[in-house]
Amino acid sequence: MTGNENLMQFTGATRYVLDDELARIVNISMALEMPLLLKGEPGTGKTMLAHAIAESLGMPLIVLNVKSSMKLVEALYQYDTLTRLNDSRFGDSSRDVSNIEEYIRMGKIGQAFTADTRTVLLIDEIDKADTDFQDDMLDVLDQMEFDIIEIDKTVRAKHRPVIIITSNAKKDLSDPFLGRCNFHHIAFPDPEMMRRIVHVHFPSIDGDLMKQSVTAFYRLRDLDAVEKRPATRELINWIRALQTDPDFKPKQLAKGEVPYLGVLFKKSQDYSQAQNVVNRRRLF
Amino acid sequence: MFVDFFYKLKEVGIPVSPTSFLTLHKAFDRGLVGSLNDFYTAARSILIKSERYFDTFDQVFAHYFEGAELPDYDELALDEMARVMLEEWLKDPQTAAQLLGVDEKMLNQMSPEELIEYFKERLKDQTERHDGGGRWIGTGGFSPVGHSGYHPDGMRVGGISRNKSAVKVAMDRRYKDYSRTGPLTQAHIGEALKRLRNMIPTGPKDMVNIDETIYRTMKNGGEIEIIFDRSLKDRLKVVLAIDNGGWSMDPYIPVVQTLFDYARAQFKELKTYFFHNTVYDVLWEDPARYRKPQKVDDFTRFDPETRFILVGDASMAPYELMATDGSIHVEERSGLPSIERLKFIATLFPHAVWLNPVMSPHWRYTRTITIIGDIFPMFELSLDGLEKAIAHLMAK
Repeated sequence: MTGNENLMQFTGATRYVLDDELARIVNISMALEMPLLLKGEPGTGKTMLAHAIAESLGMPLIVLNVKSSMKLVEALYQYDTLTRLNDSRFGDSSRDVSNIEEYIRMGKIGQAFTADTRTVLLIDEIDKADTDFQDDMLDVLDQMEFDIIEIDKTVRAKHRPVIIITSNAKKDLSDPFLGRCNFHHIAFPDPEMMRRIVHVHFPSIDGDLMKQSVTAFYRLRDLDAVEKRPATRELINWIRALQTDPDFKPKQLAKGEVPYLGVLFKKSQDYSQAQNVVNRRRLF
Repeated sequence: MFVDFFYKLKEVGIPVSPTSFLTLHKAFDRGLVGSLNDFYTAARSILIKSERYFDTFDQVFAHYFEGAELPDYDELALDEMARVMLEEWLKDPQTAAQLLGVDEKMLNQMSPEELIEYFKERLKDQTERHDGGGRWIGTGGFSPVGHSGYHPDGMRVGGISRNKSAVKVAMDRRYKDYSRTGPLTQAHIGEALKRLRNMIPTGPKDMVNIDETIYRTMKNGGEIEIIFDRSLKDRLKVVLAIDNGGWSMDPYIPVVQTLFDYARAQFKELKTYFFHNTVYDVLWEDPARYRKPQKVDDFTRFDPETRFILVGDASMAPYELMATDGSIHVEERSGLPSIERLKFIATLFPHAVWLNPVMSPHWRYTRTITIIGDIFPMFELSLDGLEKAIAHLMAK
């Protein structure tokens, strides 16, 4: 690590509203070279944060979308046997069939290690994978190297990537895993923060629309017995929908009409529950 | 530096590891911490690994750096002791009452809250003065909660329960506040459903996955490797039996019902029954427990693979469970004690659990909870408990 990397400070990005606390946590994790584990409700901007860091620091972003059936080796590298078999049968490529190295493809973690510049590595939804995957992966990220067994070669990271890990808390993460990460829970933004977030996404938004929609949104969020509460992402989409409707007036919201409820509530039971409340005007 | 702080965190029950404490010092060394604000964020993100402890961390932090008062844990311990004492005493007024040297008429007139206060005072007396047992010996044979059919404060009428009585319920409110895994509420529905979604059956691995087999065989360089998938299985049948008698269960009934209603689509069949305190000859399909009885004997015709879930606080007078005519409702009296009925259900349905809104640390103070816990695997009606219960239901 070179010294000047500590000077790189994350201060925010064009499409992301950052609170001070989160900025400090990101900077500390970068300086300590520890992965940052982010938890929080879906739609609170966990994934967006990694995009924002990459944008703000001018680093390329590499995203590893974790899948439940994923093996660690897939994230590191892939030995493309099919192409090799093909090449050996037809021999019409420029690759040397006897050289296995030519058939090794880097996975996302491998790409982050071998990149020429420092990168931001986003490991998205780590909780989908099983515990073995998580623990093994942290070993790799701790040591910043892995072996390619097929060619008996060790890949070392040229630059230690900035690692952001997100979790939706579907499953609990293991203790050793947590021990090696810094942790932050992104709380759901308060209305004040939410207005800033909306403003970043819609710089020219009508003041009345902003006020009414955010108020209505927070009331809808407070409904009881809802499986999936609408989050920031839903609000942004909802405002977008409201804006494109030429017949819509912000005043309607104040009167208790809530159009496009389906943008906010994605589960059918939630939707009918919300519809019920809105129809009965109990909301306002 | 800040070793006290670290130990304070440990003391209040946050799992903090020495390694992370060292990491925090690494942050100091690198000059990353320049202000109290920095310290706060650094310490929290490095030491605390779950949002469940954020609140506690904040309290300790405020206490350590700004001199704020920490909640008095001794006081809570005292509450707990007073509660245990009361329960012991209520269970067996005859013997236990001999331990109290006070005017029984005075106690009889106290409200549950006053009683708790009274017991705490006595406990404090005892810890401070080490009087020995002398002050605690006294008369016998009275109970402030009306074990003979009447409670002075009218919190429960009918004189059914000597144990899960007004006093205990009044205390329920107290321990809710410091329990980290509190009982389920409507706000938890989303989280709880995630757990319920695990209730999907898995068949044996006996179907050949052709695509995967071809791929694996290729990878093996032609050596045939056959990959098996799990065969599809029919969806589960679920029977949900809810104790809806008595107001102590009231807050939990809608939560449990909403929860299973939402998940209904993933089950082949979901049947809901009601009972009061425990199961006798029949369960009821209507919440009023009046119109539509379902004979327990008829459960023999149900698929034994049905997942049988009982929800109740399992707190009642022991005779309701053990005596042949234990039911508090005359029309329910039959020749068999309830405990035999429960055992019968447990043998019919190997996949059965009991969910209890009473949190597990308090189970051992109620005799009937322990007894029922021996018949059905019992879990808390909390997110953690639900998760364990589902895991148990889905185990082979």
